[in-house]
Amino acid sequence: MAAQPDIHLYTTQTPNGIKISITLEELGLPYKVTKIEFSKNAQKEPWFLGINPNGRIPALTDTFTDGKTINLFESGSIQQYLVDRYDKDYKISYPRGTREFYDVNSWLFFLNSGVGPMQGQANHFGRYAPEHIEYGVKRYTNETRRLYGVLNTHLEKSTSGYLVGDRCTIADIAHWGWVAAAGWAGVDIEDFPALKAWEEMMLKRPGVEKGRQVPDPHTMRELSKDSDAAKKAAEETKKWVQEGMAADTKK
Amino acid sequence: MSKPITLYSHATGPNPWKVAMVLEELNVPYDTKFMDFADLKKDPYEQLCVNGRVPAIEDPNTGINIWESGAIVEYLAETYDTKHELSFEKGPEKYQVKQWLHFQMSGQGPYYGQCAWFNKFHPERLAAPTERYDEQVKRVLYVLNKALTGKKYLVGEKCTIADISFVPWNEMLGFILGDKLASWDVEKNYPAYHAWHQSLLARPAVKKTWEAKQKVASGGGQ
Ligand SMILES: N[C@@H](CCC(=O)N[C@@H](CS)C(=O)NCC(=O)O)C(=O)O
Ligand SMILES: N[C@@H](CCC(=O)N[C@@H](CS)C(=O)NCC(=O)O)C(=O)O
Repeated sequence: MAAQPDIHLYTTQTPNGIKISITLEELGLPYKVTKIEFSKNAQKEPWFLGINPNGRIPALTDTFTDGKTINLFESGSIQQYLVDRYDKDYKISYPRGTREFYDVNSWLFFLNSGVGPMQGQANHFGRYAPEHIEYGVKRYTNETRRLYGVLNTHLEKSTSGYLVGDRCTIADIAHWGWVAAAGWAGVDIEDFPALKAWEEMMLKRPGVEKGRQVPDPHTMRELSKDSDAAKKAAEETKKWVQEGMAADTKK
Repeated sequence: MSKPITLYSHATGPNPWKVAMVLEELNVPYDTKFMDFADLKKDPYEQLCVNGRVPAIEDPNTGINIWESGAIVEYLAETYDTKHELSFEKGPEKYQVKQWLHFQMSGQGPYYGQCAWFNKFHPERLAAPTERYDEQVKRVLYVLNKALTGKKYLVGEKCTIADISFVPWNEMLGFILGDKLASWDVEKNYPAYHAWHQSLLARPAVKKTWEAKQKVASGGGQ
């Protein structure tokens, strides 16, 4: 008999973290959650580095088909693993070898090598950096806007409203948390109507609604619209980001 | 015999060369089209890659077109590495290869790219961002070194597309950092990383591809 899933997600309330909880909810898989407290630098504790040497979330462990534990990090590969192993009905993926299968992969890497890192840099310079550097803010909000433009143009032509083919896939899920936090990065979603419509359509999915609240309530959409509350939240994050920067420099 | 794949590339940008290395490793015939950056963000190229970046490939054997270097090398391994010389068919290793490939794509590429920008290309030297991306690059070296300590390759006992994917940006560090690189003492501070990178560079397919890049970059024809 094939080993039963025994999925354990290590995460925190961030765009990259909720990709995985949304994927799990969409697939209807049971999972345990351990919250990794960034404010206590838990992501750099030895036990966690044993699961993810990169010291970042999300990470996931499961019982593999051979009965042994598998540890995975990198949200993109975790999503690929989950659909490869569990999405037998292709609810949020396509069969290997099809054109759609590879299109999903292009968009998945687009998010993980483009939107994620660049919007992340926009957040850094706009919200967390110790010193205000106008060029840094502009450079990365502009690049994020360029990437959103690529998404918007593509979605304008989509007949289903999703990125690839007729269904919501792991590529859409990977993007959602980032796009929902556009305002936090200084990008006005109103400038990208097709992307905005897609973001709202995604939110209506029960799996997105449930998965986005893991491990804590998802507040990014509201924060993005309330600049005072956003400033306060950013101050809290700023503290551990700057401590983390100082710790990295000592390595 | 399969028909040649078309690889859209660029003379100096590192990302397309990862694809060329995998094609060479797998002995898959291909033709390279070197693009000007000015032609990427308009048709006909944008029809092929909406993001207007290289690499992208067209495979006449399957009719599949793909962009994003990570997605391309996964496709090549799944389609042409039938003997699993650079990949794993199953087991946890199959997913660990994906994991390191994603780390390269999201952790190495973007940060080394930004490091190159602030060290080499931005018209004015900005201390804080330069320092930020130098630190990010060191962090990647640290993670790779740690993961490679006591091992020859990232996953299992053989070189995979995950290892190969790091080579172009690894090899760009000298260009990005110039004299500063000597002070980092990579060989001493990141010995497992250093040995790994040297062993990858010595692979005939990797060596041949990198030499071709240097020739094209110096204007020595294609
Ligand atoms: N994540 C992408 C990055 C591709 C990328 O940045 N390509 C560079 C060349 S190395 C490019 O096309 N730059 C052109 C531009 O930005 O206009 C991949 O790995 O394929
Ligand atoms: N227009 C871009 C072009 C720079 C670019 O394309 N850089 C590539 C390297 S050639 C890069 O950083 N790619 C990110 C990656 O490899 O993920 C900029 O201003 O940074």
